[in-house]
Amino acid sequence: MTDVNVNADATEILGSGDIIIELDGVDKFFGDFQALRNINMRVGEQEVVVVIGPSGSGKSTLIRCINRLERHDRGRIVVDGVELSDDIRHIQEIRRETGMVFQSFNLFPHISVLDNITLAPRQVRNLPKAEAEALATDLLERVKIPDQARKYPGQLSGGQQQRVAIARALAMKPKVMLFDEPTSALDPEMIKEVLDTMKDLALEGMTMICVTHEMGFAREVADRVVFMADGEIVEVGPPEHFFTNPQEDRTKLFLSQIL
Amino acid sequence: MVTELGGLETVLLEEDKPPVVYLSPSDWMRQNLFNNWYNALITFLVGASFVAAVVLTLRWLLAADFQIVRTNLRVFMIGQFPRDELWRPWVSGFLLAGAGGLVSGAMWRNALEDAEEKGLPYPPHSWTDLLRRFWAIIVILLFFVSFARTLPPYIGLLLIFVTIYITREAGMRSKPALRIRVPFIGALLLLVSFIALAGTSGLGASSIGAALGWWTSFEIGRRTETPTLQHTVTRWISAVVVGVVAWIAVRAIGFEGFGWDDWGGIHLTLFVTVVGVSIGLPFGILLALGRQSKLRIIKSATVVFIEFVRGVPLITLLLFSTFLLPLFIPIDITIPGPLTRAMIVITAFSAAYIAEIVRGGLQAVPLGQTEAAQASGMSVGAIQRLIVLPQALRAVIPAMVGQFISLFKDTSLLSVIGLLEFLQVSAVANAQTEFLGQGLVSVTYPFVALGYWAFAYTMSKESRRIEAKLGVGVR
Repeated sequence: MTDVNVNADATEILGSGDIIIELDGVDKFFGDFQALRNINMRVGEQEVVVVIGPSGSGKSTLIRCINRLERHDRGRIVVDGVELSDDIRHIQEIRRETGMVFQSFNLFPHISVLDNITLAPRQVRNLPKAEAEALATDLLERVKIPDQARKYPGQLSGGQQQRVAIARALAMKPKVMLFDEPTSALDPEMIKEVLDTMKDLALEGMTMICVTHEMGFAREVADRVVFMADGEIVEVGPPEHFFTNPQEDRTKLFLSQIL
Repeated sequence: MVTELGGLETVLLEEDKPPVVYLSPSDWMRQNLFNNWYNALITFLVGASFVAAVVLTLRWLLAADFQIVRTNLRVFMIGQFPRDELWRPWVSGFLLAGAGGLVSGAMWRNALEDAEEKGLPYPPHSWTDLLRRFWAIIVILLFFVSFARTLPPYIGLLLIFVTIYITREAGMRSKPALRIRVPFIGALLLLVSFIALAGTSGLGASSIGAALGWWTSFEIGRRTETPTLQHTVTRWISAVVVGVVAWIAVRAIGFEGFGWDDWGGIHLTLFVTVVGVSIGLPFGILLALGRQSKLRIIKSATVVFIEFVRGVPLITLLLFSTFLLPLFIPIDITIPGPLTRAMIVITAFSAAYIAEIVRGGLQAVPLGQTEAAQASGMSVGAIQRLIVLPQALRAVIPAMVGQFISLFKDTSLLSVIGLLEFLQVSAVANAQTEFLGQGLVSVTYPFVALGYWAFAYTMSKESRRIEAKLGVGVR
């Protein structure tokens, strides 16, 4: 049993950077159902943490608590030195510093790709139109779809839409990126282009938390992998650990099902 | 036909198309109209009804005496408006035509340039297209004028068409600097057209003050994208000063007119509809948002208002506002006239219905849209204004226009509180000694029905057009 406790510690960050995200004894309930149980986790600067686990294990809830799309019921969440509370100013401050990419893209269908990307910088950061558009053009080049700026989201493929969503999140120049199963809604041939974009981002030193089932991505890019089940963190370790020497029965069962 | 699919060009050849079989008329009829006994029966019944309808219409048309319409044409159009003040409605009409032409022309040019910038196709301007869109109204206006016994109405209508043509061309050719100001020019023309009829009332003066103040604020505001405090203060002070000066100036003119309690005919019907729609729409949106509010007080207040208004027939509300309200209010307090009260009722009524339609639209916008906007740090107001409402309103255009059309027809209820709206003119005309007891409603009702139909039909056609236009790029 002692072995288990060591493995389930997600507070030990890798590298020597500052701690950007800190979760301290976080609980979350949906009615009577407890979605998160005593989550303790830290993420350091430039770290890439991949969260895996069976569906309903609380992975999405975990990262949705970090930018207050869900309100946590107990514990402390600190992002870049700001503690999440009911104070809307703190929430907005944290949301400005965290970009999020969703499973179903959630692009705004009624405005062009360019407007999707420039909207938040112009509204929230008061960036002048010309500057915002220059930024958007750069970002579209970075996600390798420079010629789609004038199109509407509905005219793009799923993979392109998800890359626009990544560009949209990056346009706010966030310190952390949260990915909520970014490839689960994509056709197999489009998964790679999105993962490649994420890989580039990790190489550039972006701090990232990714909820994903892409074990290849985890193996290649993750600094740490966190395995969750039933709302708690079950096992934590570098990717090789999971592929060679998983400790917990639940981890072994999960990995045998998806690998 | 050549199509481009993912960079791969495909040519559809004539022989690849599925074969088309042409039938002779008799074969076609046998296959489609008389292929079994009950289809034959249905064909026969429908055909017989159609023939009967045509015969009856022709018989009515040949027997009808349109003298009653000729005599009362002015009343049908503008009610009891004084005969020697007829220049007012005409001036008002010209100003409205000018405002409409200018604004629509500028909007067309803006849409064209927007499409060009985005690299989207945009159809070239065509007047025939415009005629096709508004043919029902144009035909009905010509039909109305055809009952005139003097020449001026013909010339007037012709000049109104010419005004629309010239101002629309001007709007289309205008420079960008003028085009961004066109909404203000249009609004001022609209207000002046109103003052031409009603004179310089307090309402007219305040509206002109508000429009000019807003324009001032717009002019100063557009000078910078990153306003300083000093800039913002200057902006608001100048806006208020200009607004107040304009208000005083307009009041000082002291131009007499005929307030809307003297209005009538189709002019009144259209006016009440436009007010009900244009004021009811923003209030309806606010009510719909209020109904979703997390603040208990706002939520219950909007629910009570909406459910009360929707739960009571419009006619009851109208009767209450006209006959009962004065009884509850002390004699020494002056309350607005009956038409003003009726318009408040109609606006509230339309706002409540619009609120429920908009609520449906709000629910149709996926939660993910709000979450994506929240995640990027946008404020609640900006999310509603820029993300949720545009999508919600687009989804409910058909239902919304349905509500507008039904409001347009509901204005006929104004007759029960003694207002001389379009339909009521028919009753009044039939009560004149000349025409009394001759069953001439068979002439006046179809005349009135055609008038309603032309506007309702155009509204419904325009709604389909807006829908198709807003659907660009959205799947």
